[in-house]
Amino acid sequence: MSAPKTIPKDAQVMIQILKDMGITEYEPRVINQMLEFTYRYVTTIIEDAKIYATHAKKSNVDADDIKLAIQCRMDQSFTSPPPRDFLLEVARQKNQTPLPLIKPYTGPRLPPDRYCLTAPNYRLKSVQKKVSSSAGRISVPRLSVGAVSSRPSTPTLGTPSVQSVTTKVGTPVSLTGQRFTVQIPPPSQTVTTKTTTPSTPAVSNVLINPSLIGSKNILITTNMVSQNSGGESLKRKHEDDDDYDAL
Amino acid sequence: MAAVQGSLVEEKDIKTEPSNDGGGNNNANDGRVLSTSPGSSASSGSNKSTTGAPEDQQTLLAVLQFLRKNNLTESVEILRREAGLPEDSLDPKGGDSSGAGSGSAAGGVDLEGVDASSLLSRVTVSSSAAAQAPNKVAEDQPDVNVVLSAYSQQGDPALYEVYYSGLKKFIESVLDCHRAELSQVFYPLFVHMYLELVYNNHENEAKAFFEKFSGDQECYYEDDLRVLSSLTKKEHMRGNETLLDFRTSKFVLRISRDSYQLLKRHLQERQNNQIWNIIQEHLYIDIFDGMPRSKSQIDAMSGSLAGEAKREANKAKVYYGLLKEPEIELPLDDEDEEAENEEGKPKKKKPKKDSMGSKSKKQDPNAPSQTRIPLPELKDSDKLDKIMYMKEATKRIRLGPDNLPSICFYTFLNAYQGLTAVDFTDDSSLIAGGFADSTVRVWSVTPKKLRRVKSAADLNLIDKESDDVLERIMDEKTASESKILYGHSGPVYGISFSPDRNYLLSSSEDGTIRLWSLQTFTCLVGYKGHNYPVWDTQFSPHGYYFISGGHDRVARLWATDHYQPLRMFSGHLADVTCTRFHPNSNYVVTGSSDRTIRLWDVLSGNCVRIFTGHKGPIHALAFSPNGKFLASGATDGRVLLWDIGHGLMFGELKGHTDTIYSLRFSRDGEILASGSMDNTVRLWDATKAFDDLETDDFTAATGHIHLQDNSQELLLGTYMSKSTPVIHLHFTRRNLLLAAGAYNP
Repeated sequence: MSAPKTIPKDAQVMIQILKDMGITEYEPRVINQMLEFTYRYVTTIIEDAKIYATHAKKSNVDADDIKLAIQCRMDQSFTSPPPRDFLLEVARQKNQTPLPLIKPYTGPRLPPDRYCLTAPNYRLKSVQKKVSSSAGRISVPRLSVGAVSSRPSTPTLGTPSVQSVTTKVGTPVSLTGQRFTVQIPPPSQTVTTKTTTPSTPAVSNVLINPSLIGSKNILITTNMVSQNSGGESLKRKHEDDDDYDAL
Repeated sequence: MAAVQGSLVEEKDIKTEPSNDGGGNNNANDGRVLSTSPGSSASSGSNKSTTGAPEDQQTLLAVLQFLRKNNLTESVEILRREAGLPEDSLDPKGGDSSGAGSGSAAGGVDLEGVDASSLLSRVTVSSSAAAQAPNKVAEDQPDVNVVLSAYSQQGDPALYEVYYSGLKKFIESVLDCHRAELSQVFYPLFVHMYLELVYNNHENEAKAFFEKFSGDQECYYEDDLRVLSSLTKKEHMRGNETLLDFRTSKFVLRISRDSYQLLKRHLQERQNNQIWNIIQEHLYIDIFDGMPRSKSQIDAMSGSLAGEAKREANKAKVYYGLLKEPEIELPLDDEDEEAENEEGKPKKKKPKKDSMGSKSKKQDPNAPSQTRIPLPELKDSDKLDKIMYMKEATKRIRLGPDNLPSICFYTFLNAYQGLTAVDFTDDSSLIAGGFADSTVRVWSVTPKKLRRVKSAADLNLIDKESDDVLERIMDEKTASESKILYGHSGPVYGISFSPDRNYLLSSSEDGTIRLWSLQTFTCLVGYKGHNYPVWDTQFSPHGYYFISGGHDRVARLWATDHYQPLRMFSGHLADVTCTRFHPNSNYVVTGSSDRTIRLWDVLSGNCVRIFTGHKGPIHALAFSPNGKFLASGATDGRVLLWDIGHGLMFGELKGHTDTIYSLRFSRDGEILASGSMDNTVRLWDATKAFDDLETDDFTAATGHIHLQDNSQELLLGTYMSKSTPVIHLHFTRRNLLLAAGAYNP
């Protein structure tokens, strides 16, 4: 390794450590990476220790604080695999069950849908149109981002029905990330005479291409007015519920 | 304290003398202990002999004293209250340290979980040794004072160094024939003594001990010793599962009866009973009757982290035969017939012979039954594949020492992404590469491009009845030479195509295994189970099942339609680095960083074979096509050949100078190809190696092997690549060798 004229002392120490551990061949960038890691690790520990010391109303950070900080970090970031007796026990239990029989040709053999990544990762929201809000308003598609588990709805065109629908959304375990809601303006703005209540949404879901994807939930709501909602929309609503359950 | 003292008075009359004098003062007590300890064990010995108290009480007292010494007053109270608890440190091992053997060892191991008592176990074990050392009392119980004296003296490194040097001198003085065998004891003894010193917080003594004796160990333990040298405090041991496993498992040594008698006699008559105790606690000595082994024989088999394999470990019956090929009607393909008309007749016979052959042999006694494990039935497309396979097999080149295969090397250029895994489909039409940037790329080797299936909307529009429906479902717009699959969040370390070319598996450092569809080139399932990097994965040769092995030291068997593993193969002491299926899908072999290879039965999950002999982590495994033999390659640059039926090593192929990352047998098993980090592919004569296999009764019974040094004869050729390490090898169906690696200037 060609060394520049002077290597900083820390880097020299790191080179020595690598040599002691028996690592003789490494790219030069490794030294920098190791130094960065060391710095980050040490500062994290010391910061944690400071917090513990202030919690214990001590003015100085002492060795016990550092030890506690290291322990906590170990359990958090640098976990180690389970111990052997635990593994043996789990293995023994698992190996006792006989191998399941294979059903004859049933198409692609995949786990139940909830464990696959094949589900559409967007959902269509039913939007409730309020009489006052929808009258003559030009709506523009708005993109809003919200955490999956938090607020039940994102700003819509003032239709509260969204809440009832979106609260059903538990966090799908496998899909993490952000949820986008896209508002698509309804094709026609008509005033509905009936009062819109959350329980009777005027909804029609358009199923957009179910393709397979990554980890973003996309909620697409369409405001399509249907005059003869009533029972039909209720039915649609149940379908929505089914969709949610399938997630 | 007074209360405690009082209780002590109740329990033990004689013993209270020293403790009463100490009063409530720990220091004074210690002082007394210390003053009574060095040399005065004679008096304590006499104390012991006069008491005649049950050992239980004594060890209990020892525990109490120890706890008091460490100011654990509450524990003392609780223990005192619960005195008489049967399991707690009342093992007979506290007393009888010589000759009892298994009792103490079992006791030592049982109590591992409980820290205080485990410390005590070591303390009492070593203390009894110390007591007897100056005492020359053969089998007596430890005295409380002696226990503590030993504990406080345990800080004295002279004890350890003296014993170890004593043993060294003894072993150097025995007859040559025994020396090699007894030298096996050095390494595990050294490591265990060092770990005990570290565990008991004697850092300086541990360092001194290490410096003095680490140079004597065998060269192939160098890596382990380096890891140990960095381990100086008890906290360092906490996260290191491998070391903890090493401490709790028994290191297996295979020693002939004569040598063993020598050792036992020496240790028992001297004062070196500390060593005897450690041996009994941590070592398992598998004694065999017969000639002691020579150094070369021992060297061949040793090197693993767990010693060698016990003979019983390799005695289970293994069905290594192949499953019967299903009968498939071969349609007479006119075109093919016309093309090879001159050889038409023999060609026709050959494929039929396969099906007839399987009919004639009723059941290979070494083959598992068809229904031993459930296997998916053949679909029509599978049957077509099989027909193609048989047709290609007829055109296969017969390889041999005088007919070496051509090697076609697929070099990954500009793989700045860091190529970490490669796989070929069985018919060699697709290559997949796993990269350190967490992508998986699939290339088409043939001129035929990769296409995606059309979307659902388009699929509705096509004519389902047409003959070329399988082409029509493909979307021409997506045709390309290669496809990139995104999804993992860490480097992809293992890749495997399914035999029916529909799926691709990839295992990654993020702990998941992903199943990708090669029809839509999207990810279908993520199998979570390992929470640590998964180093290798492979589909079963029959599809449906796949295995994975990772950092958590277990290998798991999965089925594509279960989100949880079906079997867990646990037993390795360190990471599982390589996992392979046996050709009959009934067995799985795993190679590990603890330098052992284990063969597991899929049906029961048990380990049926343990193979030791490599001196480095194993990275390559390959079964011979007939299922009888296994070849393994490791970082030590050696390829070892194993007979699965007998569980023995029968061949060693030396030649590579660096880690061997890939091994593959040719389609008929005549040639073994090995690719390594030293940028070469070497071809070895497998038929000759198998022919030389001799298994007489003695070999099978004792596991002694006589390895011939015929690597040079077996080496058929060495082919260098241009600074490209070879990480994958694959024989096409016609016995053309394909190799893959990333150019590394």
